[in-house]
Amino acid sequence: MPQAAERKALQKGLLKLNENMVTLAELSELAIRKAIDALTRLDGEVAREVFTIDQEVYGLQLEIEHTCVDLIALHAPVARDLRTITTSLKITTDLDRIGRYAKDLGELTLQFGPSARGAEPELTRIREMADRTIQMVDTAIDAFVKHDAESVRNIMQVDDTVDRMHDENFDELVRRMTEGSLKIETGARYILVNRYLERIADHAVNIGMRVVYMVTGDWLPRERAADRAKRIPK
Amino acid sequence: MAAKIRTEKVSAWYGPKKAIEDITLDFEEHAVSAIIGPSGCGKSTLIRCLNRMHETIPKARVEGRVLLSGEDIYGFPAVTVRRRIGMVFQKANPFPTMSIYENVAAGLRLNGERNRDRLDTAVLESLKQAALWDEVKDSLEKSGASLSGGQQQRLCIARALAVRPEVVLMDEPCAALDPIATAKIEDLIFDLKKDYTVVIVTHNMQQAARVAETTAFMYLGHLIEVGPTRELFERPKETLTESYITGRFG
Amino acid sequence: MTFRFDRDTRRRWKDLAMNVAAFLSVVLALIPLGSLLFEASVRGLRSITPSFFTLTTANGGIGNAIQGTLILIALTAVIALPVGILTGIYLAEYGKNPVGAAVRFFVDVMTQIPSIVVGIFAFSLILELGAAGIVDKRLVFSTTTGVIALSTIMIPFVARTSEEALRLVPISTRESALALGIPRYRAILRVVLPSSSSAVITGALLGIARVGGETAPLLMTCLGSPFWWQGLDQPCESLPHTIYVFALGPDSALNQAAWGASLILVLMMLGIAIVSRVVIRLRSVSR
Repeated sequence: MPQAAERKALQKGLLKLNENMVTLAELSELAIRKAIDALTRLDGEVAREVFTIDQEVYGLQLEIEHTCVDLIALHAPVARDLRTITTSLKITTDLDRIGRYAKDLGELTLQFGPSARGAEPELTRIREMADRTIQMVDTAIDAFVKHDAESVRNIMQVDDTVDRMHDENFDELVRRMTEGSLKIETGARYILVNRYLERIADHAVNIGMRVVYMVTGDWLPRERAADRAKRIPK
Repeated sequence: MAAKIRTEKVSAWYGPKKAIEDITLDFEEHAVSAIIGPSGCGKSTLIRCLNRMHETIPKARVEGRVLLSGEDIYGFPAVTVRRRIGMVFQKANPFPTMSIYENVAAGLRLNGERNRDRLDTAVLESLKQAALWDEVKDSLEKSGASLSGGQQQRLCIARALAVRPEVVLMDEPCAALDPIATAKIEDLIFDLKKDYTVVIVTHNMQQAARVAETTAFMYLGHLIEVGPTRELFERPKETLTESYITGRFG
Repeated sequence: MTFRFDRDTRRRWKDLAMNVAAFLSVVLALIPLGSLLFEASVRGLRSITPSFFTLTTANGGIGNAIQGTLILIALTAVIALPVGILTGIYLAEYGKNPVGAAVRFFVDVMTQIPSIVVGIFAFSLILELGAAGIVDKRLVFSTTTGVIALSTIMIPFVARTSEEALRLVPISTRESALALGIPRYRAILRVVLPSSSSAVITGALLGIARVGGETAPLLMTCLGSPFWWQGLDQPCESLPHTIYVFALGPDSALNQAAWGASLILVLMMLGIAIVSRVVIRLRSVSR
């Protein structure tokens, strides 16, 4: 049980944890922003920067994991402290994934090269979707940093929009590739981009849900964000 | 499950000083309930009202009702109440002039039981339930004081169990013991659930978390919050509760 | 070698000085006792012969005096011990209230009353009762009156020592007994009292020793008698009285006998003290 004296140690640990989590969150957001930027302008330089950021993300995520285990082992935290620590543990996974997807987008940007010419309509649609996605990531991370559960209660609805956009994009890409107005190679890569953006949005939703738990202790009705997009054909 | 023992708006005084106020609390049958809170919050006073030990203190007073299986315990003789609601105290105190056997049998003997077989059986069963039989079975005639601290406390538990109470109250039973002795007693509390209703007062929250299904938090004589232990420790409803269990005030 | 008179050394010397002072004080305190025993033994030993015990005071022996003292303390004990111990129980267990405080106060006062005053009290009590015709006038100077006086001395003493003894038992013992659903009186008699038994017994024995040596009250109650004990309603001889009479009389043989009687009395008191120690030792060994 945290006694008055032990509190200092735990407090210090929690402070450090919070700092690292904020850094991690900001890095993940930076990664995805840069990746989108690189993609939309087909800028290889920026794309390479994303790789570096992703490495940092991964390293920091590991450190945070260890910190959480240490705090639990040493201080037997309860209530809010406990929820904060366990939530942090889980959110690092989502943040790490976002960073990974950012890296994947960077790779695709490099792979597109000149062959992406002629894919302007796709770029426009993707850019719209990306804006939404980044907005979701930003909201979720902001909510975590500020310990604000209210701003993310409706994040699932925004995700539904992103899912819909994903499906529309997919159909459009397939149509264009079938019709021949889009090179298969390019189109296939755009399908991946589409997919990654949708997955990033899902992870943002996960983060949001966990923030609500961390702050209030409520488990919102949990459906995997990925399951909300109903794609199983009838 | 039904509440085996419950308090209804119980208040208690030591002379002019009010120690606890309007406590209404249910203690479930065949379960362990814990009462936690900082020193002086009234948890020991409350538990002593449950078996009418509070009134043994000069100038002490109680108001409100305490119901055991629905009957008001202030309606029948204190001596009867205490046979049905037993108590284990913070400091183990085996009767100094009695052997281990005599200590365990004391409750029965001094209430008139003479039958040697019945006494033997009671002693055997109680010592087994208190997880002490194997350690003392060959030295029952030795003095109670020859045992270690943890063993003495288990002896006192056996002594309380021998009169076959329905409820067992424990007032910080492990406060004076080392971690291993504490663990043994917590294990035995876990086993006692089957046959008894247990109410344990503890200042060690982790202990409450380990042994109790329900935990109540008291502060300055008032009941602040009560609920399933898991919820109290994961998601307490009251800010005061949260402050206490996270250690933000001693 | 330089002699450093630093704090540490000063402290050690102070310590040694205190130890020596304490030791010397003990020696000082024991000197009277030692000298008493010494004198009594040296001077009294000469009188110790078998006939000393078999002859009555009329004939220079102290047989009837020993008999008288033994009878007096036995009868006093029979009366005073139960009353005293029960009073002690009351004070320790039930006396935490104004009534108890008053009783305790009176008991304390009674332990301080000079024994000769107790003697006068017993004497006048029987005198008045005799004058009123309630008891036989002869009782004024008799064993009975002596026992009344000695009881009045012993009861408060035993009450206080018993109360102290019972208070030594920790509250937790009482509480555990009560928590088992044992009625209070039984908890006291079967748990608390046995726990304090050595202290209670010691108190009782000390009480007996105390009254055994009382002289003043006996002077005006059982008076004295040159014969073997003759009954409750008759005067009775006692060792303290004998010593008094022998020592102050003109006969030097009797003066010598007084030393012998003193030695016997001192040995009796010593014997009681030893017995009480043995009792305590035996009881704690059996645990």
